[in-house]
Amino acid sequence: MKKIYSLLVIFSFCQLSISQISSIVPTSNSIAQTSVADNHSWTAFNNPAMLGNLEQTEIGFQFENRYIIPELSNKSLQFGVVSNLVNTGISFSHFGYSLYHEMLIGLGLARNFSNKFSMGVQFNYYSAYFAASNSYRGALLPQVGLSVQLSPVFNLGFNTFNPTQTNLKTEFTEKRIPSIFSFGSEYYFSPELIWRTQIDKELSSNYRFATGFEYSMLHNLAIKLGAYNSDYLVPCLGFGFISGRFLMDLNCELHPLLGLNTMIAIRYHFLKH
Amino acid sequence: MRSFLNLTCFLFLLSTIARAQDAVVTTEQLIADIFEQYTAESEEAIDYDTFYEDLMYCAQNKINLNITSREELERLPFLSDIQIENIQSYIYKFGKLQSIYELQLIEGLDLTDIRRMLPFVLIRDTEVAGKKIYWKDLSKYGKNEIFFRMDKGIETKEGYHFLPEEDINAAETNSGNYLGNALYNSLKYRFHFKDRMLVGVTAEKDDGEQFIGKQHVGYDFYSVYAQLNDFGKFKTIVVGDFRANFGHGLVLHPEISMGKSSYVLNVIPRNSGLKKYSSTDEYNFFRGAGVTLRLRKFDVSVFYSNKLIDGDTVNGAFSSINKTGLHRTLDEMNIKHTVNQQIIGGNATYTFSNFQVGITSVHTVLDNKLDPDKSVYNYFYFSGKQQTTTGIHYRIRWHKINFFGETALTDNTSLATINGFTFSPISQVSLVALYRYYSPEYDTFYATAFSETSRINNETGFYIGTEVRPFRKWKMVAYADSYRFPWPKFGIDAPSIGTDYLFQTDFSAKRNISMFWRLKYEIKQSNLSGNEVVMPLVVPIRKASFRYNLTYFFGSFSFKNVLDGNLFCQADAGWTYGFSAIQDVSYAFPVLPLKVDVRLQFFDAVNYENRLYSYEKDVLYAFSIPMYYGLGSRYYLNFQYEMSKHISLWFKIAQTVYADDRELLSAGNETIFGNRKTDMRLMIKWVF
Repeated sequence: MKKIYSLLVIFSFCQLSISQISSIVPTSNSIAQTSVADNHSWTAFNNPAMLGNLEQTEIGFQFENRYIIPELSNKSLQFGVVSNLVNTGISFSHFGYSLYHEMLIGLGLARNFSNKFSMGVQFNYYSAYFAASNSYRGALLPQVGLSVQLSPVFNLGFNTFNPTQTNLKTEFTEKRIPSIFSFGSEYYFSPELIWRTQIDKELSSNYRFATGFEYSMLHNLAIKLGAYNSDYLVPCLGFGFISGRFLMDLNCELHPLLGLNTMIAIRYHFLKH
Repeated sequence: MRSFLNLTCFLFLLSTIARAQDAVVTTEQLIADIFEQYTAESEEAIDYDTFYEDLMYCAQNKINLNITSREELERLPFLSDIQIENIQSYIYKFGKLQSIYELQLIEGLDLTDIRRMLPFVLIRDTEVAGKKIYWKDLSKYGKNEIFFRMDKGIETKEGYHFLPEEDINAAETNSGNYLGNALYNSLKYRFHFKDRMLVGVTAEKDDGEQFIGKQHVGYDFYSVYAQLNDFGKFKTIVVGDFRANFGHGLVLHPEISMGKSSYVLNVIPRNSGLKKYSSTDEYNFFRGAGVTLRLRKFDVSVFYSNKLIDGDTVNGAFSSINKTGLHRTLDEMNIKHTVNQQIIGGNATYTFSNFQVGITSVHTVLDNKLDPDKSVYNYFYFSGKQQTTTGIHYRIRWHKINFFGETALTDNTSLATINGFTFSPISQVSLVALYRYYSPEYDTFYATAFSETSRINNETGFYIGTEVRPFRKWKMVAYADSYRFPWPKFGIDAPSIGTDYLFQTDFSAKRNISMFWRLKYEIKQSNLSGNEVVMPLVVPIRKASFRYNLTYFFGSFSFKNVLDGNLFCQADAGWTYGFSAIQDVSYAFPVLPLKVDVRLQFFDAVNYENRLYSYEKDVLYAFSIPMYYGLGSRYYLNFQYEMSKHISLWFKIAQTVYADDRELLSAGNETIFGNRKTDMRLMIKWVF
């Protein structure tokens, strides 16, 4: 019982101080969660336009251990299929534990238009478990993304998750599903050094300002450094590894109040046909 | 040498034009973009119908630059006085233009200006159109158009909720509700034969107005016009509904004002004379007849109007004119067409090469006395049954300076005057300065001139503006306006002062990417909000606004991003903010005659003072600049489908969703229960 209370307290605090009600949306591979204009990486339920940039079919798994509390962790799975006409992606995300959990499943369609811009739409089905009624409730919600290459070294990205502000209604309460608008940029100082910036607004939360640098030190190793500010300034450090067809990202965030947040993502690229 | 330059310009411009063709920018879109620039700083509903029709008319009857007049070029509102002068001066010095590509040689015209001009101008040696109108030509070359528009909100407003008769409050509640259904509908018929003969009929029913019922049958508003141009000695003959625009707006100019905008040099309205009226605004027009005679260098116009207007008439007097044109409830029906207004007026203008002077006079007669409920702010507003206003306007070109101005007097000897000059010392720099003085007693019916507020009285101010093109691809504009209200105004219980500053930089990075940054700062005075004390407490208010607008296109796609924000502070209450981000995507299908526009917008402006406005694409003839405050999102889908050569269809659906826990939107009969507002709009155009 004590554990449940502790969890509730921490969970409530997390709701207020991190990405608030957005726990179901997985943290992106990009440092400081600056994925909206990251043309080289597609993360489930982040900007679906990046699905259009996939050149090889891939499968990925991601685990986020929020503040070393298993009950607050997020697990996600993504599968992107490349084709000539349109790339297709299936994503799944799970947050919570047995007494309270949320799930998100999405089907995304995206295309890259002559390397000038990419557009993607995703249809997501959100469901949450309500212990009071021992039932699941769900809702369908859209997601739209855009990525534009304004010059060979500068990209802009835009993403909106649940712009229709669809919520879950039960007999007793209304559960708010996050409604997120993101806008960001990506700039290449050189092919090795990338700078990203991003602004997010979840409608019931504070603005989130984020920036991060990614430096490819070696062919198979990148170091990432960034920070974001919502209520607190959160420094972020990460690494990226490539080994054969495997790609691995390890990102850490140090929240001044809640502590360490770690994320690991592994992706596998299938052979190009 | 000129041939060589022509060839160079030809090659350069040809590449620009050819590449520009793959943009989704149509003439309709271009007109909307120009209008947006004008109205970006305006919070009033401005008549887009007329603006659109005028420019569309120019697109269909292109201006031949080789035989054009200043008056004709003034129809293109994006050209400044200096640019018009430069075009005329170039043709006067070097002879007729050989091709459209030669426009690049004219001082003060950059590629953006030329691109904007292209849909509306052509180069020909001689006038092709014949002077005489034959009946057979009317049927052969005349163009008929019918426009049908319907608007409907999805959510039911409070005004359409009727209580059952057995309810004890039914009689009282239901009597205040709307009489008609929630459908907006308008029907327009247009006929035009080149620019010589124009005929049209308009019928409109606003949402909530009764179409068939006990109170009313048929459309609420009808309008008919016929206009002939260049008919013998007559420059213009107009019968039915029309507008009269003379001088610089102090006496007569019911159309869009050339006020403060990012077109910083365009500060005085264009003198378009007598012109048919085809809009759905139910107040701002005349109903009768008018003619303009061309007598050598004199243009003489006379007109007469007799129409009914809305006023809350009691015992032969009314306190205000209802200009909304809405007749949805019994109360609104009771004040419909209760006052007869007669207007007789005229203008005589003498034009010489570098000099123009004219006189405008208007006499207005009401059958009931206009008697506003007097309070301090409206103490000097016009009251009475008759009013005469006369003004003299001028324009002089001296070397590189254009002087302009107008001075007007009403029959109570109150004065209004506006004077200024535009000046272009070198081709990259243009300047404008303007001084205005409108006495508190000056108050006339159809004045629209440069002003801080929409009412032309009780104001004195000085405005300076500049447009600089320091490098290729860059344009910078700025203005500063300092003004004073010597008498209290509505919402300001004491004499007050204010200052506005605007700075905008435009950058065309590539042929397909352009952007601008706009900064605006204003400080003025206002009553302290929530002030209940007897003595007026007027405090300073400050507002800083920022806008970044990025437009780019690739093939059949075009995109726009807008970041819009502002900060507001009243007295020492601290700053509050408003912010909005917009993503637009437009696509023109290559294999289908279909265009689609999508917008996703987020806004966050908790206080009304931080409200934001953003232009939206819409169906033909409609122009939306919705206002937002609160927290929420908005999105729309807009379709344009050319079903055949003769029939086009537009459809728009838009929804605003508020996330700030509000449970109802708007107020009174317009109340919607919930946090969503959805609108649909359909327009069909038939050309035959």
